[in-house]
Amino acid sequence: MIFIAIIMGCILGAIIGIYAPMVPYTYSGYLAIAIIAALDSVFGGIASTLNKQFDLKIFVSGFFGNAILSMLLTYLGQKLNVDIYLAAIVVFVGRMFNNLAIIRRYYLEKWTNHKKKVSTENIAQ
Amino acid sequence: MKKKQIAITLGVMCFILTVAISIQLKTVKNSNSTAAQSFINDGLRDEVLKWKERYDNAYQELLDSEKQLTQVREQATQNNTTANAKQEQIKENNMLLGTVEVKGDGLEITLADNNAAATGLLDPSKVLVHYDDLLQVVNALNNAGAEAISINGQRVITTTAITCEGNVIKVNGEKISSPFIIKAIGSQGLLLGAMTMAGGYLDILEDWGVIVNVKTVDGITVEKYNGIINYKYVKRK
Repeated sequence: MIFIAIIMGCILGAIIGIYAPMVPYTYSGYLAIAIIAALDSVFGGIASTLNKQFDLKIFVSGFFGNAILSMLLTYLGQKLNVDIYLAAIVVFVGRMFNNLAIIRRYYLEKWTNHKKKVSTENIAQ
Repeated sequence: MKKKQIAITLGVMCFILTVAISIQLKTVKNSNSTAAQSFINDGLRDEVLKWKERYDNAYQELLDSEKQLTQVREQATQNNTTANAKQEQIKENNMLLGTVEVKGDGLEITLADNNAAATGLLDPSKVLVHYDDLLQVVNALNNAGAEAISINGQRVITTTAITCEGNVIKVNGEKISSPFIIKAIGSQGLLLGAMTMAGGYLDILEDWGVIVNVKTVDGITVEKYNGIINYKYVKRK
């Protein structure tokens, strides 16, 4: 159910995105960092859904809040001549890997449990 | 019910995300050429800076070696009158060539672009200092018997060229810009008279609106020539 919704969203987004106008190149850096932040939020959302800890308010506020905060930090970094966006990328990508690990472990466990069940059933027969 | 809500929210978020990603992809793809160009520019700039640094280092080494050479020469000629005379001759020749710093009474001329006047003019070219202005001033100074001349630290020697390179002026191949401080050593009275006479070149420049300032300075230091004088084709007869 959740994955069908995600895939539907992705396909719809890709179709609309192809026909959407371009952003000026100057701002594409901000958009990129916002994408990384949003991607992190989505992975976090999936991981927390699997752990049955999903909170809609946290998810939505994190999605937009992180994106806007990272854009502001990038802007500030540009003004101060410090590449702050690098720090944001490190944090977001690090968390993305953590969340991916949680998702991977969940499905691996499910798969091994299923296999065990099948083998015990076979033995029982 | 709750699961449905979660699914819809995640779907909407993914929708926003993919829209953003595809816009970004499109932008990056279309702006690829400008990005590449700026990368090339950055690379070239780095290269220039690297070579400049290397040049500066090599030049510093040269200066050190020259200093060492002078010391060795002085030591070697300490107790030898003929060698001492030769040594003095070398020093004299270097002074004439312009490869050593010299000091004496002279004149300091400051020429500067009149930026305040330039903003209001249709053709600001008149109130700016051009390379031919510098040439004229140097020529007039030489005519008045100046023995050593430098422009913004660039010594004017026999091989010096003063050229126009777009919006900068090059002297001895080095870029210089306004304000131009021309130092000359010579008879102060003669130099001052020649430079400030009515109808002289500085007078004309001042009329046009260029900022001109002439003053006599006692014990002015004229910098040495910063390059290598290298004759490849001239042979001794």
